[in-house]
Amino acid sequence: MISDAIRSKQKAVIPYITAGLPDLGATGRIIRALSDAGAAAVEIGLPFSDPMADGPVLQKASHLALQAGFTMEGLMKNLEDWVSSADIPLIIMSYINPIMRPGMKETLTGFKEKGIQGVIIPDLPADARGLFNLCRDIGIDLIRLVAPTTTTARQKEVISGCSGFVYAVSVKGVTGARTALPEEVSRQVRAIKAMTDLPVCVGFGVSTAEQVDDMLAFADGVIVGSHLMDAVMDESDPIKAAYDCFRKLVEV
Amino acid sequence: MKGYYGEFGGQYVPETLIPALDELERAVSCAFGDDIFWEEFSSFMRDYVGRPTPLTCAKRLSAHYGIDVWLKREDLNHTGSHKINNAIGQILLARRMKKERIIAETGAGQHGVATATVCALFGMPCAVYMGTEDIRRQHINVERMRLLGAEVVPVKSGTATLKDATSEAIRDWVTNVDSTYYLLGSAVGPHPYPYMVKMFQKIIGEEARSQVLDKTGKLPDAVIACVGGGSNAIGIFSAFIDDHVELIGVEAYGRGNGKNGASINFGIPGVLHGARSHLLQDENGQVLDTHSIAAGLDYPGVGPEHSYLSTIKRSGYRLVDDSQALAAFRLLNSLEGIAPALESSHAIGYLEQYAKEHGGTTVIVNLSGRGDKDIHTVLEEGL
Repeated sequence: MISDAIRSKQKAVIPYITAGLPDLGATGRIIRALSDAGAAAVEIGLPFSDPMADGPVLQKASHLALQAGFTMEGLMKNLEDWVSSADIPLIIMSYINPIMRPGMKETLTGFKEKGIQGVIIPDLPADARGLFNLCRDIGIDLIRLVAPTTTTARQKEVISGCSGFVYAVSVKGVTGARTALPEEVSRQVRAIKAMTDLPVCVGFGVSTAEQVDDMLAFADGVIVGSHLMDAVMDESDPIKAAYDCFRKLVEV
Repeated sequence: MKGYYGEFGGQYVPETLIPALDELERAVSCAFGDDIFWEEFSSFMRDYVGRPTPLTCAKRLSAHYGIDVWLKREDLNHTGSHKINNAIGQILLARRMKKERIIAETGAGQHGVATATVCALFGMPCAVYMGTEDIRRQHINVERMRLLGAEVVPVKSGTATLKDATSEAIRDWVTNVDSTYYLLGSAVGPHPYPYMVKMFQKIIGEEARSQVLDKTGKLPDAVIACVGGGSNAIGIFSAFIDDHVELIGVEAYGRGNGKNGASINFGIPGVLHGARSHLLQDENGQVLDTHSIAAGLDYPGVGPEHSYLSTIKRSGYRLVDDSQALAAFRLLNSLEGIAPALESSHAIGYLEQYAKEHGGTTVIVNLSGRGDKDIHTVLEEGL
């Protein structure tokens, strides 16, 4: 269970990595390294040609992974190995179109059968009730995002159609490291926690060990994406780079 | 369901934008129900844009093809295309919403120029996102936007054309959502954009319908318009949708080598830029590279209402390639003394095929823009 995995960690940090960069074999080894380094779960980002919620780092990662020949078929062949080599839940992040192309039900069922425990879709339809029900029937968590702009009424609607954890977006904007995170995040997270028993994890913009500690003062977990991919992307040994980068985020 | 045309449309956007779309929807519904808003819109259409635009009988072109061709002269609008209708409508809305800053995407630059123009008119700061490939081939419009005081932001990512400019405009909007109004240029994007843009462009069809009745005493057999995102087409189609009139959209077939902008002909339903519609994509759900000599048609998606109209077979979507569009560009220059935009040249370019199959008929072609901006491209191709 994703929620248990988050709660069982003293410092629950969920790293994000783009699948297929530099290739799917390396992705598997990076997942293993992150699991060994103490990650609470790993978010595997599927590359997309038009990632409208991503900043420059994850745009570049997506682009490079597609150039390197990422395909959904290749991913599906590797997922089982990745799941069995890691001791922690694996979550897939994908824009909706690549999941929709073979059919939502087929793709999500495929993920579930390979052992994937949750999905994050940044461009879900505004009314995602049908998709939430589909995920519940398949037995895979649908992790939903709550933004700084989200109204209270909408927060309730999102949370009622969410499982695994609630992803609190820290900033207005796209993914990418920020030197400072807005102070409203703590208020936002506390408001969400008052509405649900699900863990609440903060993502977007987190890039330092200090920020991780600051967020964990009120949140159940933290997601780190762009900062990690920036450290990994151009390295000759991306596995070691991922391990080292992650350890720096969680070591006191 | 809200914002859907059959199975097409919807709101597939980052959660941050949901409240912004809700706010926009409320503003649209309030403005559209307010006579004062439409009176203001009409007065700008008349006194600033120069509407109504004429419906010109293209006598020599008609003789050439053996059909009666009428041209709806959107090229004669201020700024040189139909894009100004929507830009005026949306900036009036943005002012009612008390937004402080305007952003837009542009392909051919016509929407960018229209947006920069209305921002100058109302004294608002403006950033226009434009692919570097389009900046190269539509240089005159880039200079115009800068003269008008807009910041033209080059977009290098992806294919460096309209789709990437649109993604980048959305990223700006997500970041500056409180202060910024996104003035989207076509009948695409999340609800309520496709609906709102149609409501501002339907003036084309309303005028054309009453003009053709005045001049010929009957409705035309067909209405023909080019389709990139599809705003000029939906604008003119909307007035004829309940009539016994064939509606024909013309998509860009590019060089005919597989890369094109013909989403309805070759696309599969998918989600791009906030809505579900026909999308040029590969078997992995990745969006394909497109090509058209007309930058405004060089887009892998299409407005959701066009997807719907094609599915219910109310309108048909035909293909015209780069060289047919160039030939049409030359033909309209030499026979009528009118230089059409390369986008509109696609609609003109379909006449040859249409006339072969439908001799003796009467058609209206929406001449959505003027071609001054394209002289450079046409010369490169060898006039």
